[in-house]
Amino acid sequence: MTKPLGQLLAILATLAVMMVPAWAANMPRRIGYVTNYATHEWYQNVIKGMKARAAELGIAFEVRDANLDVNKEVSAAEDFMSQGVDVLIITPVNEGIVPLVRRAKEQGIPLVLEGSPVKRMTTMVATCDYDTGYLAGVEAGNYAMNHLGGMAKVMNVGLPLLSATVLRAHGFMDGLRTIVPNARLANDIDGGGNPDTALAASTAALARNADINIIYGINDSSAQGGLQAWKASGRSQKNLLVVGTGGEGLGFIHSMNTEPAYKIEAAMFPEKEGFTAIDTAVKLFNKQSVPLHIVSPSAAIVGADGWKKYYSVGENVRTIKWDAVNRLTPPANCMKTSAPF
Amino acid sequence: MREILQSANSTPTPHRLGANSPVVLIVLLALLCIAISIGSSRFYAIENITAILRQCALVLIIGSGMTLLLIAAEVDLSVGASMAFAGMIAMDVTNQTGSVWLGAAAGILFGGLVGLVNAIIVTRLKVKSLIATIAAMMILQGGVFLYSRQAIQNNNQLPAFTAISTGFFGPVPVPVLIAAIIFICTYIVLRHTLFGRYVYAVGSNPQAARLSGLNPERLKQILFIVTGLLAGLSGLILASLMNAGQPTAGRGFELTVIAAVILGGTSLNGGRGTLLGTLLGVLILQVINDGIIILGWDQELQLVVPGIVIVLAAYLDIVRRRAGAR
Amino acid sequence: MQRSPSLSATAGDMGAVAFCNALFRRNEMVLLLCLAMVIVFFSLASGSFFTIRNFANVFGQASLAMIAGIGVGVIVLAGEIDISIGSLAGAAGIPLVVIMNNGGSLELGIAGALALALTVGLVNGYLAAYLGINSLIVTLGSMFVIRGLIYLYTGQKAIPDEQSLESFYQIGNGRLLGTVPYSALTAFALLMGFMYLMRHRPFGRNIYAVGGNPEVARLAGFNVKGIKFICFVISAVLAGISGILLSSRLGSAVHVAGLGFEFQVVAAVVLGGVSLAGGVGSLFGVALGVLILSFLSNGFGMLDVPTEWQEVATGIIIITAVAFDEYKRQRK
Repeated sequence: MTKPLGQLLAILATLAVMMVPAWAANMPRRIGYVTNYATHEWYQNVIKGMKARAAELGIAFEVRDANLDVNKEVSAAEDFMSQGVDVLIITPVNEGIVPLVRRAKEQGIPLVLEGSPVKRMTTMVATCDYDTGYLAGVEAGNYAMNHLGGMAKVMNVGLPLLSATVLRAHGFMDGLRTIVPNARLANDIDGGGNPDTALAASTAALARNADINIIYGINDSSAQGGLQAWKASGRSQKNLLVVGTGGEGLGFIHSMNTEPAYKIEAAMFPEKEGFTAIDTAVKLFNKQSVPLHIVSPSAAIVGADGWKKYYSVGENVRTIKWDAVNRLTPPANCMKTSAPF
Repeated sequence: MREILQSANSTPTPHRLGANSPVVLIVLLALLCIAISIGSSRFYAIENITAILRQCALVLIIGSGMTLLLIAAEVDLSVGASMAFAGMIAMDVTNQTGSVWLGAAAGILFGGLVGLVNAIIVTRLKVKSLIATIAAMMILQGGVFLYSRQAIQNNNQLPAFTAISTGFFGPVPVPVLIAAIIFICTYIVLRHTLFGRYVYAVGSNPQAARLSGLNPERLKQILFIVTGLLAGLSGLILASLMNAGQPTAGRGFELTVIAAVILGGTSLNGGRGTLLGTLLGVLILQVINDGIIILGWDQELQLVVPGIVIVLAAYLDIVRRRAGAR
Repeated sequence: MQRSPSLSATAGDMGAVAFCNALFRRNEMVLLLCLAMVIVFFSLASGSFFTIRNFANVFGQASLAMIAGIGVGVIVLAGEIDISIGSLAGAAGIPLVVIMNNGGSLELGIAGALALALTVGLVNGYLAAYLGINSLIVTLGSMFVIRGLIYLYTGQKAIPDEQSLESFYQIGNGRLLGTVPYSALTAFALLMGFMYLMRHRPFGRNIYAVGGNPEVARLAGFNVKGIKFICFVISAVLAGISGILLSSRLGSAVHVAGLGFEFQVVAAVVLGGVSLAGGVGSLFGVALGVLILSFLSNGFGMLDVPTEWQEVATGIIIITAVAFDEYKRQRK
């Protein structure tokens, strides 16, 4: 009689030990995420990472789209709160969510920000924009030394509208100057962050001053628009380097495969950012302390095959190679931020 | 019938005041060019001129159709969204079939189809075109993402596809040539054919036009379809220029087009306008856009300056008409 | 021809047949029915829709478009249009926040915001009503110019509220008894006030007359230009009030605030049965139009409908509604 009982106890004990990791952290039941712009590939991949992680942990996960309208974003978050989500994740459209941060605190709902900071936030998961640009800048410098005769004259297809994208461009130039000290920012333009505005603005800028050999785009669309403007003006890609930022979706992989000048990508791994945001949400739910800025890794991808280290591509989808991305160790702090801390 | 056509002509029109009206715009354009070239020697570089003309081509292609539509007292705000969708379809079909011709045809026909739907909603369901085409814009902007959330790339890297926008015919860029042909065709139709006169007649007085046996609905349907086809064509060229179908391309393009047409002296109330004016309006707005960048000014001015110019031009137009009426 | 702006005859003293007729003739009744259908549908589809908290949320969210919608409704009834309201709502936050940041009070900031809105209204009104420039062109121009000036002034950055005045936070975020948003109360008060003006004062009759047929109105001795001018001022000031509440809701003057707001509001006004030709429709209809779109947006969110489908559905709803209006008008 005692023997089976002992066995049963042993089994129960083993089960209990196995359950410990799960018990140690209480799982939130529902997490709501308000995204900036769900039709953009970057956010689709952020959401992909979040969904994957939430499913793993058995958490119900819902998404609302602000569609670039901060007022709509506040409304969506308001709705989530009144429906009783346990944790809220928001990608701020801009600084206009500060009052919302206060309201979430008043209602006792933990709030994780993804992407960009706002005043009075608890925590944010984001890559370092400056550092990402900087890493790509260093690689661009090396490339200029080896292939462009040590010259670096840059056209920045920028987006002054967002502090994050301004930081990327600053980082890029600073990183570049560590290798090519006399690197010059020859054209600094507002490409609107989308390919056709970037194309139109770059075309005019190239007509004004075509004495450049590096095109830097603050996102993949901007780099793409700049490069197409270069091609449309009938120039060869031979002595040109194009650097994109973000690694948002399939676009940059396609460009690296097919465009001879598109050699460097400052990749920011949106899937990983989503994954980390869910983990952070769980921590906040359990009242664990978290740093103000949880850095998500970024890396400079160099050369036509560089992306294969981190991604595999099937029919119209890309799959992240978690091992490779998880091996990247992000810095604890960013070199420079615009955060209103 | 003849009475109508005459009354259409005697309202301050294309032909009579036409000799007068482009003068202001030509002077404005000349002044702008001189001022900018003083500020920057790069303005007259062949490359810059080519770049300006290529941008103009996109606007002028749709602008030609939009001018006819506005003269007939209708408007189409869905052209920007339609461009993006048409570009996606053109690229997709090109990828699937390996034929640029089929892709181009699919993109242009899609634009025509949008025009047809707009035409039916406006003429049959009697929804005002301003509202109908804003709604169409919403539907297309949503629909394009349902079609594909990712940009559609030129997977086979067909050079013929990029040649649509970056190729040259002699010294003339292909899109400029296309725009020129379309401009000349619509110009001849509007000025020298009965159809052109009907357009003015329907726009200035649809009631009277109907009484005289014209079918304004049929005419408007044709104009919506033509504008749609031209939006498809523009979308194709834009996709070729970007070497990909981009779902967000062309956002706000409808306002650029309409601003140029209005600047050219075409009335929003119908019955009045010229294609020559539209051509000048397109050139002026693009020269301003280009000038702001080439002079290295704040790009925010790309919103402010055209805004002022459009209102000013509309005001000058009123002053001129009053003077003419006196 | 002109549909009566008044709902004064109640259904109660009519027979059932008459009631049904009224139901189909009166746009407001159809809209009420639509609103009820929307609410019933989402209540059945989502468990968290039919709650006081959610309704309070929706009324708060609808208030901004409601306030601006009253102004646009008035101006469209007068036969003109104002599409500069989005840029203006965004701009109004700037003097507000800048004045507060420089040590001014909330009241002074609001005065500054309203002064800016008033100025824009006067300019729009002068250009459109007195110089006779097409109002779509005038307000398209001011929409561009104001947005460009916002970007130039702010350097394309949001201006945060540095004083953190409690009163500033409360006007856009606070709730009466913790339930009803103050912004919803403001919108309701303005709606009632303007509905009274439009129905029972000469002010309203003038606007309907001018919008219905400006030529006849002029011959009948109405001051057409003056009336239209005042409508532009009203539209701008209401857009300014909407912008003040928006700025409080966002805790700052956000440079991109109000982008595309004009389309939302015009869509709601048209959905509410106001004809772009002028002279036809009512502010009650506008209010229903705003509420229908707000409840749709809220409900779609709860059902996890993707943005793409929301855009497509909204477009189809607008076309259907306007086509239905036209159909009724022609049958009469």
